[in-house]
Amino acid sequence: MRVPLEWLKQLVAVEASAEEIETRLTMGGLEVEGIEESAIGPVLDVYITPNRGDCLSMSGVAREAAALYGAPLHLPSPPPSREGGAVSEMTSVTILDPDLCPRYAARIVRGVKIGPSPLWMQRRLEAMGQRPINNVVDVTNYVMLEIGQPLHAFDLSKLAEGRIIVRRAEEGEKLVTLDEIERTLQPEMLVISDGEKAVAIAGVMGGLHSEVSARTTDVLIESAHFQPLSVRRTSRLLGIRTEASYRFERVVDPDGVRRAADRACELLQQMGQPAPVEGIVDVCPSPITPRTVTLRVTRAAELLGMDLTSHICADSLRLLGFDVLTESHGPTDTLHVQVPSFRPDIVLEEDLIEEIGRIYGYENIPETLPAGGATQGGDSEEGIFITRLKRTLTACGMQEVVTHSLVAPSLFESPADADRLVAVRNALSAEVGGLRRSLLPTLLDAAQLNARQGQRQLALFEVGRVWQNEPTDDGPVPVEYIAVAGLLAGPMGEAGWQKDTTRIPADFAMARGVVERLFADLGIVDATFRALQDRAEQLPQFHPGRTATISLRGGHPAGVIGEVHPAVAAKLDMRERVVLFEIGLNALQEAATKTSHGFTPLTRFPSVSRDLAPRLPEEVTYAAVASAVRTANVPLLEDFRLTDVFRGGPVPAGTKSLTVSLTLRADDHTLSEAEITDALTRIRAELTERCGAVLS
Amino acid sequence: MSDSIMQQRQEAEEALRGASSVAELTAAETKYLGRDKGLNELRRTLGALPKEERPAFGARINDAIAQLSEQFAAKRAELQASEMQARLRDEAIDVTLPGRPYTAGRLHPLTQTSDRIKTVLGGMGYQFVDGPELEEHDYNFAALNYPEDHPAMDEQSSFFVTDSRLMRTQTTAIQGRMMAQMSPPFRFATIGRCFRYEAVDATHHHTFHQVDVFMVDEKISMSDLKGTLGAFARSMFGPETLVRFRPDFFPFVEPGVDYSISWQGRWLELGGAGLIHPNILRAYGINTERYSGFAFGLGIERTHMIRTGVSDLRLYLENDLRFLRQF
Repeated sequence: MRVPLEWLKQLVAVEASAEEIETRLTMGGLEVEGIEESAIGPVLDVYITPNRGDCLSMSGVAREAAALYGAPLHLPSPPPSREGGAVSEMTSVTILDPDLCPRYAARIVRGVKIGPSPLWMQRRLEAMGQRPINNVVDVTNYVMLEIGQPLHAFDLSKLAEGRIIVRRAEEGEKLVTLDEIERTLQPEMLVISDGEKAVAIAGVMGGLHSEVSARTTDVLIESAHFQPLSVRRTSRLLGIRTEASYRFERVVDPDGVRRAADRACELLQQMGQPAPVEGIVDVCPSPITPRTVTLRVTRAAELLGMDLTSHICADSLRLLGFDVLTESHGPTDTLHVQVPSFRPDIVLEEDLIEEIGRIYGYENIPETLPAGGATQGGDSEEGIFITRLKRTLTACGMQEVVTHSLVAPSLFESPADADRLVAVRNALSAEVGGLRRSLLPTLLDAAQLNARQGQRQLALFEVGRVWQNEPTDDGPVPVEYIAVAGLLAGPMGEAGWQKDTTRIPADFAMARGVVERLFADLGIVDATFRALQDRAEQLPQFHPGRTATISLRGGHPAGVIGEVHPAVAAKLDMRERVVLFEIGLNALQEAATKTSHGFTPLTRFPSVSRDLAPRLPEEVTYAAVASAVRTANVPLLEDFRLTDVFRGGPVPAGTKSLTVSLTLRADDHTLSEAEITDALTRIRAELTERCGAVLS
Repeated sequence: MSDSIMQQRQEAEEALRGASSVAELTAAETKYLGRDKGLNELRRTLGALPKEERPAFGARINDAIAQLSEQFAAKRAELQASEMQARLRDEAIDVTLPGRPYTAGRLHPLTQTSDRIKTVLGGMGYQFVDGPELEEHDYNFAALNYPEDHPAMDEQSSFFVTDSRLMRTQTTAIQGRMMAQMSPPFRFATIGRCFRYEAVDATHHHTFHQVDVFMVDEKISMSDLKGTLGAFARSMFGPETLVRFRPDFFPFVEPGVDYSISWQGRWLELGGAGLIHPNILRAYGINTERYSGFAFGLGIERTHMIRTGVSDLRLYLENDLRFLRQF
């Protein structure tokens, strides 16, 4: 809402500068977003919150300013018209849908000479962003800006039978509006019609046919009250947003209807036009009774947390135009407050309390802390778990990223189950067309962006929400999950000046190392990695030979780890190998050890280390070897780990040699050579039998 | 015989003087004072002496050994000290050379900011809870006292996913979810991602993060809200920070304010706040004569921007490492 200072000062006796008024209005709840210069001086750009339709006029802003400054208010008071009179013989108003139009008033001015409006009016209209058109149209716009009531002027000679009918539109009814566009109307829209046809869309825009033109001599001025929701829906359905519809949506004072029509006639007369036809047609099938709200002063003081008297409360409310009907004094002061018709937002005691606080000044509220008992605060269980994950991943040297949830279809997506992607219904661009089903595509985007910046070492992770459609009896329903994902690419580690500094290119094993670290920190001991291989069609975006699905506690795959398919990597313009992993948070949470393991006493007996180097057929996996070692079920075996994989040289083609380092220990004695030999024999036997191992 | 002691002693002293390293000294010491060597070897000749001469000869050997041992110890200390000095001199490095670079993973600035907020509010007794980003339309609007199809919703154009669900436009949507489960008194907070259909520029984004804080107890007032915001703001932005209220409108609070903090000589608008609207409390069966509550919200990006001077909101979701590594 643009507020010319010159006009404001005409309505309220305030001597302050534009900047002072800016601060006072802003602190009072009318936020001044800027001050601009115009032909008539400074203009304040005031943001009006959606609940304060009454402030969408100069009078409304002036009323607030008057209350905030305690200054006298001078609102226009045109000579009031009398209902009926001569005008009721010239026209009639019929409201067929009073639910959408509780009130409709009409006045008529005959013998008007159409021409430009006076310069002072044009200047004010321009300062408020309106284009002057002619004296009659300008007056209707001017009154709207002055009092907030949108008006419409019809050329009376163009109204069939010279009368007004307010009704819902007929299905498919057509109307060419002022902007010369033919509109097709629907039955939920309210129209103004004459004896034959629609002539205006109620509260939104007038029709071209009955508009005031240079040849117009008799005008009918409409001043009406329309139901806000109806205007809002019509305006949205038709895609027309006007100054009138904007105001009607935010509730216009139903009691200002007649005054606005009278004011328009007064202004026309002041501009040298003929006096209006005597009287007004004012159809008000649903009169509005003023609302009374009770205010307890102690309650106001309690909620605002400051000392208040009934005088302070009553004075603040009166300044805003409320009628304080009764004041009873004493410790239980109660005010009965009649709410003015232009403030439909005031319904509850709390609404009045806000008005008092606002006018008395929020700067008078002291700072206290809630008195109640102490409560246990802290992060949610989910939040604590996520913090644990992030601690491990950052300790592995990975940088956290936060990427978009709303995404365009990515190259890195399996086209197989596109129907599981959740779409945004009202997306205007593909960029925000769907909800991500995986964190990997946006993680790749982040990697790409940084690769283009010349970053070669990329170790990124994200924890975030993902969505996919899940089948239900009622069809697919989008379900929200949390996933944790990582990306490694390029040479890891930092090159320094020392000769022994090495940078290791990211590979599957490196990503697996991170995932294993994560599992270890979460106390997850039973994760299995299963090669993708013959299921490659499930995840075509991954390298079929360098990808595994991850299952926890023997369940369904809860995640994936693998290298991006070389063909996909080429399309993404990534030159280094890119390794990714993604795991569902739910599965991790379920698999993670919730209780402490307790404590394993430190034994004082020494351990013995022995290496085995089985030679194995190439197709035997490490998982098979590890499983064979475990199956041997040697209680003395404390731990074992792979220390070498060797091919070539003395190892025949088609075979490989793995070196497994075994740690043996007993809790209660030092191992004897016989025990060690026995343990090794059993493990060798398992390796030979299960893996076809040859042991030297 | 006594000449042999003297001779041994002179030889030993000569060797001692000639030793230029701890190793040479040790060799000399072993030669003259070692078991069955040098002076100790002379002891064996004791038996050959007349009985009356033995004590005196023995005493002289012991004397010589004791004196030599002392001399060797002193020389050893001297040599050790100079050897240590030489070693320290040789081992000196250029300490101005750069260290070995160490790759450390870092948390995203939004996480760092959220963590700090969680610590502060957790310490003030607020329990953090989590709500869905794909939220019920009702929890996002109707439960928060938005009248049906009200212009207030225009300020929050939504991404719709189904007839009844949208991407939440505000973390405030958690309030109805919690009030449906809990009875007062309670203090809750949530941090999460919100979505509004807006054109993206340096200060607007369709995706952003918010914290929403609310509590209900007996006799909760605007001054409690101001005090809580003051304590919170001083923990986040420094002990001198002041809080100011300005009237504003949000359907879910009454009175509604937006609050600003004093920052480097200016007032910076931080977020919306107010007393929880009685319509909401009553809808969840809370007796508004006994209980009242307050709520406030805050942008995570905004908080970080104030603390660091970042001026472009878009940087947070771009994930340029040159940006992320600064925090």
